[in-house]
Amino acid sequence: MKKQWLSIALGIVTATGGFLDAGTIATAGEAGAKFGLGLIWVILVATIAIILLVEMIGRFTAVSKKTYAEAIREDFGFRFYLLPLSSELIAESLMLAAELGGISIALSLFTGISWHIFFPFVALFIWILAWRAPFDLIENGPALLGLVTLSFLAGIIALGGIPAPLIPTLWHPSFQQGTVAEYLYLSAAIFGSTISPYLLYFYSSGAREEHWSGASLLLNRVTAIVGMGFGSMGSISLVVLAAIVLQPLNISSNTLGELGLVMAKPFGIVGSFLFALVLFATCTGAALEVVLAISYNIAQGFGWEWGENKKPIEAARFNLVMTIFLLIAVVIGLIGIDPLQLALFASTVIALFLPISLSPFLILMNDPEYLGNKTNGRFTNIAMIGILVLAFLVAIISLPLAIITGGG
Amino acid sequence: MIDPHDEVFSIRDILDSQLLTSDGRRIGRVADISAEEHTDGSLKLTHLVVGPQALAGRVNSHLRSLFLFFLRDRFEHSIPISEVTRFGPTLHLRGKAEDYAVGQSERWIAKHILRWIPGNGR
Repeated sequence: MKKQWLSIALGIVTATGGFLDAGTIATAGEAGAKFGLGLIWVILVATIAIILLVEMIGRFTAVSKKTYAEAIREDFGFRFYLLPLSSELIAESLMLAAELGGISIALSLFTGISWHIFFPFVALFIWILAWRAPFDLIENGPALLGLVTLSFLAGIIALGGIPAPLIPTLWHPSFQQGTVAEYLYLSAAIFGSTISPYLLYFYSSGAREEHWSGASLLLNRVTAIVGMGFGSMGSISLVVLAAIVLQPLNISSNTLGELGLVMAKPFGIVGSFLFALVLFATCTGAALEVVLAISYNIAQGFGWEWGENKKPIEAARFNLVMTIFLLIAVVIGLIGIDPLQLALFASTVIALFLPISLSPFLILMNDPEYLGNKTNGRFTNIAMIGILVLAFLVAIISLPLAIITGGG
Repeated sequence: MIDPHDEVFSIRDILDSQLLTSDGRRIGRVADISAEEHTDGSLKLTHLVVGPQALAGRVNSHLRSLFLFFLRDRFEHSIPISEVTRFGPTLHLRGKAEDYAVGQSERWIAKHILRWIPGNGR
């Protein structure tokens, strides 16, 4: 039982990695710099959605002993399974490149050496972790480091709290630097970066790696709320910091490095290092989650051996997919696009594909063959329909707005 | 759940099911089935088929021909239905993983590719 409660770390790492990642940091920083606190409501709505989705997928896996990818293939058939799989492959290869770039920029902030030089070594570091580290280490390492995200809150306090003139931007966004199209585009990107489907595949597989059962449902609920709540708090804190520090300077945070200013103002050089540490921890957690989520997805969908607690030769195809996927991300990263821009673009692509990734939920979560008497109730079904409607809206507006705004 | 002795069963229940060997290894999923026609016109399921051509055929029949042209049945494998000891979303097989050609790519990758990578667990 004690071990079960200790595994709440799964929620924290899923939050720091899945909620807070290069995409969230990029969108939150840009949101605060351009629109003050005007996009916090989007983060709050997206947080409620991701809490509900994580709770559902955790419940589904704990009760049915099936992961999300397995259930999609078995219930919807191979043809349908290809849709979420291909959308994941496209969106997450971009996001993985952005995460690797985020880690490289963190190291660059520490050392002053160009992030491009670090990039291949960072990919190797992530590959070594994913190749041999047991699931516990992947879960707990970035989780502990991710606690430095609390320094964003400390930064706000050190700057004297939220200035009174900023508060009305909560409901009346400031358009000093951004346009309405950019506002809508960033809203879509925030949804894409917050409700990342890779998070659901990873969480579902993690629940199997940890042998969750019907007795884990309370733990699952607490994990979903605490984990995602923690991630959301970090994200909102960054919006506030960017609104306090960057907006008055007319800096629209075009690179992840520029975003470091939000912590340099309250804490000087220490703040810059703290920001770099947050970037390092969250992007490392996210990079591991993304690369594993894709490997889990493919191995489970095709019925191969999978698992981080197995030796690589015991799950050869799973580990080969992981290696190839990392190589693809390295190639994308070596093109040299700034990770912040790449993360924004990847978030938009994720937003575009959200309905495909989320639509199986409604059917699976109401199937008593999988869930017995733990199927969705009326409230969760209405909430799920609401999330799907939102996902469709976001998907419809994301691409045209990305073109209009030139990607933020 | 399907009983192998049931006369009526749904092909949909078998397609895409996980194949699990007696030593607890996941070797693949059912991509297609093959059946033989009896003199009375009834069809009897004989084999479970796994492979890229069968999967391509699930997407589009032209794709199956295209895959056949390039792959020449090289990666297509089948398992007699008599090998299944338990039916359901997971099909439990009588033999061990090494007894089946299905999933041999797992062993091939381990032997020929992963062996060169340090820390492979060998």
